[in-house]
Amino acid sequence: MADAAAKKIEILPGQEADLSAATYRIYGESHTIGNALRWMIMKNPKVEFCGYSVPHPSENHIHLRIQMYDNLSSLDALLAALDNLDDLCKTIDDAYTLSLRRDKYEVWEEKS
Amino acid sequence: MAPVPSTSSQSLYDPRRHVRVDAERARDVSSTDFPGYWPNEDHSWNLAKFQEGLQVKVTRLSKRSIEFDLVGVDASIANAFRRILIAEVPSICIEHVYVWNNTSVMVDEVFAHRLGLVPLNVDPSLMSSREDDNDQPTDRNTLVFHLQVTCERNKNAPKTATDPAEVYINSEVLSSHLKWVPQGEQEIVFADNPPAPTNPNIVLMKLRPGQEVDMEMHAVKSVGKDHAKFCPVATASYRLLPLIVLNPKKPVPPHLAEKFRKCFSPGVIEVDPITKAVSINEEQMRKETMSREVLRHPEFEGCVELKRVRDYFLFHIESEGAYTPERLLPESIKVMREKIATIRKAAEALRSDSGGSGDVEMRDS
Amino acid sequence: MNQQSGPSINAGGSGMGFGAPPPKQDTEYLCADCGAKNEIKSREPIRCRECGHRIMYKKRTKRMVQFEAR
Repeated sequence: MADAAAKKIEILPGQEADLSAATYRIYGESHTIGNALRWMIMKNPKVEFCGYSVPHPSENHIHLRIQMYDNLSSLDALLAALDNLDDLCKTIDDAYTLSLRRDKYEVWEEKS
Repeated sequence: MAPVPSTSSQSLYDPRRHVRVDAERARDVSSTDFPGYWPNEDHSWNLAKFQEGLQVKVTRLSKRSIEFDLVGVDASIANAFRRILIAEVPSICIEHVYVWNNTSVMVDEVFAHRLGLVPLNVDPSLMSSREDDNDQPTDRNTLVFHLQVTCERNKNAPKTATDPAEVYINSEVLSSHLKWVPQGEQEIVFADNPPAPTNPNIVLMKLRPGQEVDMEMHAVKSVGKDHAKFCPVATASYRLLPLIVLNPKKPVPPHLAEKFRKCFSPGVIEVDPITKAVSINEEQMRKETMSREVLRHPEFEGCVELKRVRDYFLFHIESEGAYTPERLLPESIKVMREKIATIRKAAEALRSDSGGSGDVEMRDS
Repeated sequence: MNQQSGPSINAGGSGMGFGAPPPKQDTEYLCADCGAKNEIKSREPIRCRECGHRIMYKKRTKRMVQFEAR
């Protein structure tokens, strides 16, 4: 746990020297970020492969594998995907707020 | 069947958006909107395209729950919000119980556990989380409650009374007996909405004359993955929009129209009173339970297809505790963006490490 | 899980506490039947002065006990 507090991400041994293929270990994260990030990274046409796993349920980290075409950096792809995911979140937030303010919806009395 | 206009840029009847529901299995479950899957099509991430296709629409709202449609996102995104709502949106709950006296029949451990489960009306944004278990309690991270209840005989009760509520005073310890004790600047911070249980009528335990409880409680801020009592929602779930597609080449025979209608949830199928022609009520279609009853009858084979729309999520969130239901999704988005920012910062650091020395920092050992 | 605080945080306050010293004072017991306070002396039969019941309960400690609400 102390290690997780010290470091959020590390690269597992066996990566390509130019990081065109690497497995990242992300501490303190689960399927929540793993699957969303995997999806966003796979939206990048320069990505050959992307997958994530939760190696063990009692270890609080995930593995994220990224392999790139054209010897591009997987770290750049990861950073780009994080930015895109943030844009996506903001878009949904704005659309929801707008709907809550503008749309006509049923307001009903719920007994608790 | 004429294609029904959807507010989204794509039609609901685009087969690529469909999960097929068969009698024994579901088909086409995985999304295919990735670069390289469809030849000569661009599926790379495009924010403008996403904004155009995204549709968020609140459909129902009450003081306790909200329902909304989230259309045009992948399951991984919808699921991330659902998971964050359950496990990572913070709330305030009693965490430590200091018992001075408890002569009731309920043992201290059990009662302490029950106290922890009581939902409190405290806005979590007004408090900070403790750094760790040994963090010093302060007026920023801890609320103090007192509970002092003694049961005695009610001398004014009528002789014929048998109801414990009449015969005794304080025969029940209720959540309303919890008294907040302001510390430091809390008196000002919580002036508008003094901390208390959201429901004053929760029976915590029962007492009889001579029995007494006297304890102090500390409430702290944490998240659902730490303990389920911190979960701010009763349920947070989504389902995919059901879609029923009639086959124009094989209409339902008029004499079987009524039987066909009964295979679906009430209101989903409409039968013309004169021609006995079968049609689908688009408004009610989302109420279909997808029981697959229609697939059990050989006479309807080929008449109809049951489907779900893969990127059309019908969310239902019930709030329990401090958040109003409409605040929950924005809170989960906030948590999601904080997580992204944390990972981004760490990834930036990783890049500057590897860029500086020409070597990549690797895991020890 | 739970822990008893040291005697320095004796919450009874009144000084007539039980469990903790002073040891010379006789411990009070409660009759299981009528709830009357009793003292038990050595060589005497254990019996309630009020009702004659033979079961006694020791009083709960006045020390503060800490629990986690989990």
